[in-house]
Parts: sequence; C-alpha cells; structure tokens
Amino acid sequence: MSNSFIRIDNLKKTFGGLKAVDVEHLTFDQNVLTSIIGPNGAGKTTLFDLISGFQEEDAGEIFYKNKNITRSQPYKISRLGIVRTFQLTKVFDRMTVLENLMFSGSSIKNDSLFNSIFKTSNNKKYEKSLKDKSFQIMEDLNIHQMADSYARELSGGQKKLLELGRSLIKNPEVLMLDEPLAGVNPKLAEDLLEIIQNLSKSGITILMVEHNIDAVMKISDRVVVLAEGSVIADGLPQDVRSNPKVIEAYLGTVND
Amino acid sequence: MKISGKWIFTLLLTIFSVSLVFYLNPGGPLRILGNLLTFAGIYALAAIGLNVHFGMTGLLNFGHASFMGVGAYVTLLLIPHAAGREGEISENGLPFLSALLIGIVAAALFGLLLGLPAIRLRGDYLAIVTIAAAEIFRLLVRDLESITGGVYGIINFSSALQKYRPLFFDEFITELELAPAQIWVGLLSWVSIFFTLILIKRLNQSPWGRALRAVREDEDAVRALGKNAVWLKLQSFMLGAGIAGLAGVFLAFNYGSVQTTLFVPLLTFYVWAIMILGGVGSLTGPIFGSIIFWAIISETDKLAALIFENADGQQLAGVRFALVGLLIMILMIFRPSGLLGKKEELLLNVK
Amino acid sequence: MVDQLGNGLLLGIIISVASVALSLLYSVTRIVNFAHGEIIALGAIVTLFFSSPVDSRIIYLDRFSPLGIDFILSAIIAVFICGVFGGLLEVLLFRPLRKAEVGNIAILVVTIGLSIFLRHLYLIFATGRVQNFPLELERRQTYWFVDMTPRNFKVLIAGLIVMIIVGILLTFTRIGKAMRAVRDSDELASISGVNSDNIILFTWISSSMLAGLAGIFQATINDVRYNMGFLILLLIFAGTVLGGIGTSFGAMVGGLLIGIFVQVSVALPFMEGHTEAKNGVALAIMILILLFRPQGIFGQKERIS
Repeated sequence: MSNSFIRIDNLKKTFGGLKAVDVEHLTFDQNVLTSIIGPNGAGKTTLFDLISGFQEEDAGEIFYKNKNITRSQPYKISRLGIVRTFQLTKVFDRMTVLENLMFSGSSIKNDSLFNSIFKTSNNKKYEKSLKDKSFQIMEDLNIHQMADSYARELSGGQKKLLELGRSLIKNPEVLMLDEPLAGVNPKLAEDLLEIIQNLSKSGITILMVEHNIDAVMKISDRVVVLAEGSVIADGLPQDVRSNPKVIEAYLGTVND
Repeated sequence: MKISGKWIFTLLLTIFSVSLVFYLNPGGPLRILGNLLTFAGIYALAAIGLNVHFGMTGLLNFGHASFMGVGAYVTLLLIPHAAGREGEISENGLPFLSALLIGIVAAALFGLLLGLPAIRLRGDYLAIVTIAAAEIFRLLVRDLESITGGVYGIINFSSALQKYRPLFFDEFITELELAPAQIWVGLLSWVSIFFTLILIKRLNQSPWGRALRAVREDEDAVRALGKNAVWLKLQSFMLGAGIAGLAGVFLAFNYGSVQTTLFVPLLTFYVWAIMILGGVGSLTGPIFGSIIFWAIISETDKLAALIFENADGQQLAGVRFALVGLLIMILMIFRPSGLLGKKEELLLNVK
Repeated sequence: MVDQLGNGLLLGIIISVASVALSLLYSVTRIVNFAHGEIIALGAIVTLFFSSPVDSRIIYLDRFSPLGIDFILSAIIAVFICGVFGGLLEVLLFRPLRKAEVGNIAILVVTIGLSIFLRHLYLIFATGRVQNFPLELERRQTYWFVDMTPRNFKVLIAGLIVMIIVGILLTFTRIGKAMRAVRDSDELASISGVNSDNIILFTWISSSMLAGLAGIFQATINDVRYNMGFLILLLIFAGTVLGGIGTSFGAMVGGLLIGIFVQVSVALPFMEGHTEAKNGVALAIMILILLFRPQGIFGQKERIS
C-alpha cells in the first residue's frame, strides 16, 4: 500500500471516441506545489474533473490518503479535504462577496433546516465567528472593500480572488486551482501568485493547471506535462522546461 | 419597508381591482369581498409554496396541484367523512389538527418521492416529471374509489373544522350577512399565510436560505464546496409541498367537498400565474398577486358575456383560461419580475 | 392482447410522428415546446373545418360555415397551415425572445402559457364538444395479425412512410446535416456558413407540419377535441424520454413503444377495471427511465444535471 497522498492508477476517459485522459500512474505528495501544464485539449481540466468527482472515469482508480475516491460524489470528495476551483469562475453572482464566503465556510450542521428554524444563541455565535473569519480572508486577499457588493459586480481578477477565498475558508488540505491566473491583469497576477506560494508554504498541497509558463516556473516544486491525455514529462521545473518532448508538444500545436 | 415605486403601483392596482369588483357587482359587496378574499387567501398560500420551489430554489414544478391534493385527501380521510357513490360514512377519525399535520407531512413526503428521481436532472425534466406525477396522482385518486371516493369524492367532513368556530365569530359574521363557514376558512388561510411568511422570511435570512440561494446560483460550485446540492433541493421541495398541502386542505373546506376534478393542471396554472404576477421570489408577492388575479378573473366572465353573445358556460370558462395563459405569457416576456419581484434576483436561465 | 396490439401500433405511430417533431425542435432550439399539443390539435381542427359539410355547425360563432372540401385535400392544406403557424410562432415570438437572450426557463414557461392560451382559444372558437371527421364508418378487417378498419390501416402505413422519409431526410440531406450542426453548436454552424436563423425557422415549420399530421392521424382514429393535444402531450414526452431526448431516431422508436405499451397494458391483469389508467403506465415508465437511465434507449449520456 503506497503512502503517497494522492494516487492515480490506470485512469482512462474518452469522449465519443476521442481519448481525453490516459494516465497509467501518477502520484502527488503532500505539501508539494505541482503545476500541470500542456497544450490546449491535453486533458488537464478533465483530469481535475475526474479527481474531484465531476466526471466519471471509464476505467482506473484514484486514491486520497489511501481512501478510494474513484466513484465518490463531488461534495463528498470536497468534504474529505480536496477543494477545487473552476476555469470559468463560478462565483455566486446574485449574492454578496460576504455571503459567498459565509456560505462556503458554514458547516453542514449550521446550514441545516432545523437549525435555521430554531436559531439558538450557539447558532448566532457561530455565524458571528463565521463572519469574522470571512472578513479575515477578505482582508488577506484584499477584497474586503467589496464585502457587501454582489459578486457579479467584481472584476475578473477579483472574482478569482473570491473563488480562492471561498476555497480557503474551508481549510482545505488539497487545493486544486484550474487556471487561477487566466484573464487576470499582470499586477494582480503577481499578487495572486505570491498568495498561492504562501499557501503552499503554509502546508497546503496545491495542484495547479496553468498556461502562464513563467508563473509556473517561478513557484512550482514540480511540473507535470500532459499532452493528448497522457503524461509526457514529470519533474523539476527547469528539467521539464528543456525536455525536448515538451518543446515538441507545444511547438507542434503552434504549427497546426 | 421601503416605499418604492413598485409597492405604490401594486397597492394601487390592488385597490383598483377590488373596487372594480364592487363596481361591477352592486348587490352585496361584502359577500363578494368575503368570497374573493377567501379564494385569494387559499391560492396565495399555494403560491407561497410554489415560490419556495421556483423563487427560492429555481425548481420548475408544474404539478403543484397534486401536492395540494395529497394534503387535502390525506387530511380528509383521517377525519369523519363520507366517501364514494354510496356516501359511505366513516364516523371515526382524528381531531382536525392531528389529521392536518399528517396531511401536510404526507404532502411533503410526496414531494420527496417526486423529487428523488427528478431533482438530479435538469430543469425541464423536472417540469415534465411533475406534470406526469400530478397526472398519476389524479388517475390513482380516480381509480382507488374505495378509498378516495373516486369521481364521487368525499363530502361531509366540514364539521371537523367548523366546530371550532367561536360563537362571537358567528354572530359578527352573520350580522355582516356573510357565510360564517366560508369566512372561517378564509380567516384561517390568512392566519396561516401570516405564520408561513414569518417562517419563510426567517429561512430566507438563515444559513439554510443562503445555501439554497447558492444552489440556485451554481450547483457545481456548491458541490465543489462540500455541500449536498441535491439534498438541499429536496428539502426545499418538501417545504413547498407541505405548504401546498395546507392550502389544499383549506381549498377542500372552502368547497365542502372534493373530487378528482379539483386538483388538476388548471389549478397549477392558476397558482403559477399568481406567483409570476405577484413577483417570483418576493415574500408578499403572492398575496397581492392572488387578490388582483382573483378580482380580475372573477370579472372576466362578465367581459366574456359582453363580447360573445350566445356563449355557453364552457366558452365563458374558456375565456377565463385563455386570459390566464395570455397573462402568463405576457408577464414572462415583458415583466418576469412581476409586481414585487426583484429584477436583479431574476432567474431566467437553466444552468 | 393481439387486439390491443393493433391499437398499440396505431397509437404508437401517432406518438412517434409527434415525438419526432418535438424532438427535432428540441434538438435544434433547445426548447421544450409545451404548446406542441396545440399544434397537433390545430391540424385536426383545421381539417375538420375544411372538410366538414357546408351546413354543419362546427364553429361556435356560427359566422363561418365549413368548406366541405375533399378530406384528403383538407388534410394536406391543414398540414401546410400548421407549418405556416409554426413559422409564425418562430418569427413573431421565439426569434425575438432568442435575440433578447431570454433564458430557457422563461421560454419554457412562455410555451406553457401559450399552450393554455391556444387550447382555450380552440375551446372558445372551434369546438367544446367531441366532433368527428366527416368519414364513413368502416368495419374492421384483418391485416396479418391485427384487426383494424381499412382507414386506420392506411393511417398506420402513412405514418410509417412519413417516419421513413423523415429519417432519410435527416440523415442524408444537407438540411438534415445543417440541423444537426446547429444543434451541436450555434457558433460553429454560423462559421461554416450555416444560417442558424433559417435552419431554426425550417425546423419550426417542419416540426409543426409533422405535429399537424399527427393530429390529423389521431383525429382520424379517434375524434377531434379542443384538448386532444394536451391529452397526448404527456405520452409524447414519455415516448421522447424513453427513446432518448435529442435523438430523432430514439423519438421514433420510443413513441412507437410507448403507444404499444399503453394499449397492451390494458390486457394486463392488474389493469382490470382500470383501463383508463393506461396512460398512467406510460407515465410510470417515463419516471422510471428518468430514475435509472435518463438518457433513454438511444440518447447520449451527457451530463443531464
């Protein structure tokens, strides 16, 4: 029984005849920041979907801390400690930034119908501490001035920050970020990158899909390269960068 | 409560439509008002339940009448009543309140039953399933004649509720030349509305309500954040169904009898029209929507009689329903937020 | 049971035609058209008006007398009128809504409102009571293993032919491919030179023509009622769900199967004395399919939730 944090065995997924993911073996260790890169259509987001339960694999198994999460539902996987974000931000548009965070941080028990009807002083205390925690996160991410604004009023970069904040308030063990820097202006991207790096240092295991190669090289401990659904390179950032297969995979798509 | 433009308009429209009723019916305005408010109350309650489904959670429920029916039939069968062609009498029964509670729970459970297959699926599927389930309910009620009285229905149950009327109430109402029995049902409906709205307002501002709004916004994000979106939707479905069940009971007591022709799609469409008119997601929208709706609808018969000479009863009813359909269309196209709905909170897209 | 098989085939072919029409429209426009039943009824009512003898009283308002035209001709005209009606619906109602980017849920509710409105217009202006096409009564005959009247048999054959033609058109012609392109991606289609507005219009017209035809078939076998469309709408949904939403072939097969199941179920032991509940059987099947295999028989397992 391997003791790797996340383990993927023989994972396969096809869409209408096209192979989306075909990974024989892949593991992720705790506390490491791994970036997953590759040309468009390489299967990166599909891989994320499979791990987080949003898509069903055709074959293969996924383990998290030795627990088989292959066919688990997304919300259960999240409760185990793996929280993901999405390529196209999914903030709750018609709720305020504060509500977005408080919803995310609220426990299942607090959300229950029973508790909401029969509010006790404990509930009120819980909500208060939840609010404080939310403000703490908002301040860390510098979006606290938008606390009472509807999420849809936020800029693209601020929405990314909100989504990150929503994930963080759950105290995740594993953070799966799907293109966290996409569409974000350079200054904000720099701040965001620093935040992600600090999160990694604080002990969170991070898996990051990104197209911004400079960012990837800057903060990753490890880089995995996907092309046409399979892993073609895996190692330290500088080694992967000069790997001829990787160069070919990227150049190949540029030439098409 | 902000006095904004839409509130003023709504209040004016309400006053106007009620005045219209008085104007067109010179004899006995109080009696008409009593009737109007009773119907309005019952339907407003039903619309509040539907609002929990659609307004709060974004669920498309087109079988609402069946929830009302389950609440009504279960309650009636548990109190003394007479059923079927022979009028078979069941003398024993539970006290009204117990039967009512069980009826409401039954309606909620029916909601659970319906929700289980459908709530995982997309919005339009849920619409189809709820219509199908309502039709199955109607067929079952019709065919299980030995239990439900089939097409002959159930009668002689009113006393279980009416016996609670206080004497002073009877005296007061009779002095106004109104029917105490009906006004009693109307009064209870409005009292129920009051308490139900308090509950819903509380829930809206609660963590549960917040969770439901998140589900309405983006289910995938909700799941990625560790919450069981399906269960949340099911809970909302059950809550709305229970409220509808209560409304169904009042509807039954208003008529004094039930039969299979009562809880049919047309009833569902009325409730939908009222909910949209009042404003999807608005707390008090159903109240105003219901009053205005009933005021106008009860006068369309006169309008129809004016336009179509030699029209028969069926055609007049047809005018009424055609107008309901037209109303739903026009509202949905030009003013989906209705009278009191919030434009920003509008849910128009299936995700 | 063999008795019911004949009825089942008839009902099945009608639902089949109607289901294909609905499925086609849904595939291309993503709209679940609840007013579909009313287009079906329109076909029957228009045929009734055109073909009924000149003095008979069909329309309530009594200001127009029926035209007394040959039945087949009436039916053909009615089908075209339905096509025009569908085209008008698209141009006057659904296209503006689409351009205004009104959401799916709103449009669905609009179609429900439309269905209520149209159905009761029919009630007001056309017919509140059950009426029949002016055709002679026939005796049943035996065709292979089923008994039915010659006219009904013709309906069955006509239905089958229509299905085959539709199938061929969809699979092999340019229009069919264009429809499938628009379904898969609006943008992609317009890039490759397909005008999605025209394709959608074409779909509305053909779907409505098919629906009208289904209504004429239904009225030939049974009768004309203002709510005849509403009555079989649920069965059509059941057929489409069973066959697989989004596949026309599935709709054909699903519709046929539902028709057969519904009629044959009458012969089952537990249905004794409750034959009118046979529709409930179809609905129960539909709910079960949605529970366990929501993509139906031929549908693709897309993320339905």
